[in-house]
Amino acid sequence: MSEGDQELRALMIRYQGGSLEAFQELYAQVAPGVRRYLLHLAAGSEIADDLLQETFLQMHRSRAAYNSNYAVKPWVFGLARNVFLMNRRAARRWAKVHESREDLPEFPVLPEADRLGSQDEIRRSIACLAPDQAEALLLHHEWGFSFEEIAGMLGISAAAARARASRGMADLRVALNSLQRARA
Amino acid sequence: MMDRSPKPPEALMRAIAQDLRPVRPSPQPLQLALRMVPLALLVSSVILLAIGLRHDLGILGPLLGWGASAAQFVLAIVLVWIAAHESTPAGRLPRQMVYLAAAAACLVVVFVTLLTFSTSPANAPLLRVPPRVNEMLRVSPWIMGFACGIGSTVAGGILVLFFSWVFRNSLATRPTMAGALYGAGAGLAINAGWRVACPVSTPWHALGAHGAAIIATAILGALIGRFLGNRRLHIGGRRS
Repeated sequence: MSEGDQELRALMIRYQGGSLEAFQELYAQVAPGVRRYLLHLAAGSEIADDLLQETFLQMHRSRAAYNSNYAVKPWVFGLARNVFLMNRRAARRWAKVHESREDLPEFPVLPEADRLGSQDEIRRSIACLAPDQAEALLLHHEWGFSFEEIAGMLGISAAAARARASRGMADLRVALNSLQRARA
Repeated sequence: MMDRSPKPPEALMRAIAQDLRPVRPSPQPLQLALRMVPLALLVSSVILLAIGLRHDLGILGPLLGWGASAAQFVLAIVLVWIAAHESTPAGRLPRQMVYLAAAAACLVVVFVTLLTFSTSPANAPLLRVPPRVNEMLRVSPWIMGFACGIGSTVAGGILVLFFSWVFRNSLATRPTMAGALYGAGAGLAINAGWRVACPVSTPWHALGAHGAAIIATAILGALIGRFLGNRRLHIGGRRS
C-alpha cells in the first residue's frame, strides 16, 4: 500500500466518522483526477462537472459502503464510472452526453507517448481508440492504477485489463507513426 | 501547498454538511455473504420442523441427503459473495466468473435432482398430514408442486428482503444483476433445506416447483435491485 493511498484511507475513515474537513481534503486530492476521467468518459461533454458532483454526492450517501480494505482511488473512480453509466441510462441525460464540445476533452497526454507526437495529436489518437482500450490505457498509464485495480473497476480479469491497455498502446503507436509519416 | 487544491462546490458542501452523522463501515463481501447463514438456517429449520424430514433420507444416505444440501448452501453463499463484489465499485469480479457461478448453480441443482431421483425415485407425498390429504396430493401432484413452489418462494422471499436491506447502499453498476445474484443465492439456500423435507423426488417436481422457486427469487431480487438502483439515480437526478 502506497503512502498516498494510506493517507486517503485514513481520510476516508475520518470522513465515515463524520469529519467535514476529511471530506474536503479527500475532495481536494481525488476530484481533479476523477473530473478528468469523467471528461474522458463523457467525451468532453460539460456534463462531466455535473457527474463529478453526483459522484461525490453518491459517495456521501453510500459512504458506509466503503470498506477500508479497498484502496480509495479505485473505489471513487469505480463509483464515478458507475455514476456515468447510470446517468447514461437515463434517456434525458443521454442526449446531453452527446452534446460534446468542439474542443477535445482535456484528458492527459501519456508520458509514454509524449515523444511520438504533439499533445494535440496524441489526444486525437487516443480519442480514436476503441473506448474500452482507451479507458484501460488511461487508467493504467495516466492515473497509475494497477491492472488488478482496473479489473475491479471494470468487472474484467486483470489479464483482460492488461490486454486492453497493451492493445490500446499498440494502436496509439500505429496511429501516431502514421501521422508522423504523413507529416514527413 | 494546499492553496491550489480544488474546493467542493458550495451546493455539494451544503448537502454534505447537512448529514454528517458517523456511519459504520461496510463489512467485506465474504462477511456480508455469511450474514445470511443464521437467517437461512433459521428459515430452513422452521421448514423442517413444519414438514418433517423426507422419509427416504436413509436411502439417499448422508452424502446425497445432507451433503448435497450443504453443497447447495455453500454455492448460495458464493452467489451472495459475488453479488457483494458486484455492489462494490472497486471490487467487481470478471464477468466470466459471475456467469460461471450462475451456470454452476443451475448445473448443481439439476445434477442433485437427477441423482436424488435415480437413487430414490420417490413420488408419493408422505407428509405428516391426515391420510386423506396425502391421498389427494398423490392423485393431484400439481397441488404438491404448487405448494412447494409457493412455499419455497415465500421462504426465499424473506431472505431476499433481508438482502435488499443489507444491500440498500449498494453501488452496483449493474444493480439488476447484483439483485438477481443475491436472489438466486437466497433461493438456492432455501432449496438446500427444502429438498431435505420434500418427499417427492421426481425431476418435474424438483425442477418445476423447487427450480421455479429459485428462478422466482432471482427475479424478485433482480426487480428489487433494479428498483434500488433506479431510486439511487432518481435521488441523484433531483439535485439542483
